[in-house]
Amino acid sequence: MTTGLKIVLLLAELLCVSSAILVTFHPNILHAAVALLFAFLGVAVMFVYAGADFIAGVQVIVYVGGVTVLVLFAVMLTHWLYKVTLRDVRKKLIVPIVLLVILLVPAVYKSLVELASSSQNIAPERVAEFAGSAKTALIGQALLGNYLLPFEAITILLLGALVGAVGLARPK
Amino acid sequence: MNILDWAVSLEGYLCVGAILFFLGLAAVLYRRNAIGILLGIELILNAASINFIAFSKYRAVAIDGQLVTLFIILIAAAEAAVALAIILRLYRLRETVDAGEASIMRN
Repeated sequence: MTTGLKIVLLLAELLCVSSAILVTFHPNILHAAVALLFAFLGVAVMFVYAGADFIAGVQVIVYVGGVTVLVLFAVMLTHWLYKVTLRDVRKKLIVPIVLLVILLVPAVYKSLVELASSSQNIAPERVAEFAGSAKTALIGQALLGNYLLPFEAITILLLGALVGAVGLARPK
Repeated sequence: MNILDWAVSLEGYLCVGAILFFLGLAAVLYRRNAIGILLGIELILNAASINFIAFSKYRAVAIDGQLVTLFIILIAAAEAAVALAIILRLYRLRETVDAGEASIMRN
């Protein structure tokens, strides 16, 4: 992989993390929702680099095109511009920050040090070949093969969510 | 190992996943706005997706992790639709989206 491609991935990861910080701590919920859009785009770029081109497309269509627009609609429907201030009520920051430090540091340490030192012997050529191969046909075959039962279950779940959401949101 | 090689390695992916997970957890705890809590949950689900994709490339070298990620994305979409419907319903009933105010069932 060339240096330019690696720089793009590093920028995408930085975009993910900085947008996620905005999502968590920005006082304005509308700005937080827009920041979430950029976090989703960064994650999609990371998927492309991990050889998951089809999943990256699904991520962009479902999250960036669907969920973010839905969230923005909900923000604008629940906060009338002149009626309620858009500002989120601030809670005390101390609990989340203490929790972050206590939990995040060991997790990052484990993924940095222990996993790196216990790396299995998988040939880098095999990983590169996997990342470069086309996945869409394989995913389609797996969805109608080994993963048929979860595939059918998720269709029922989506139907239930569709009907349930319409039933909940309808007036009276 | 310079930072560019680190970014494309398994450890880079796992670190970004861990950071996204705990930022999402912090958002769930920190936000009072129910929509803000939903944003945190979306971050947590994305962190799980990143881990599945990274392990599917660097350890399993197979597409099973990608299929699990596909299911995670679909479940997240269904969950977001239902959660936003509930939030809009709550807003219509109580004129608020503060999660602390949603205490109809408490007494």
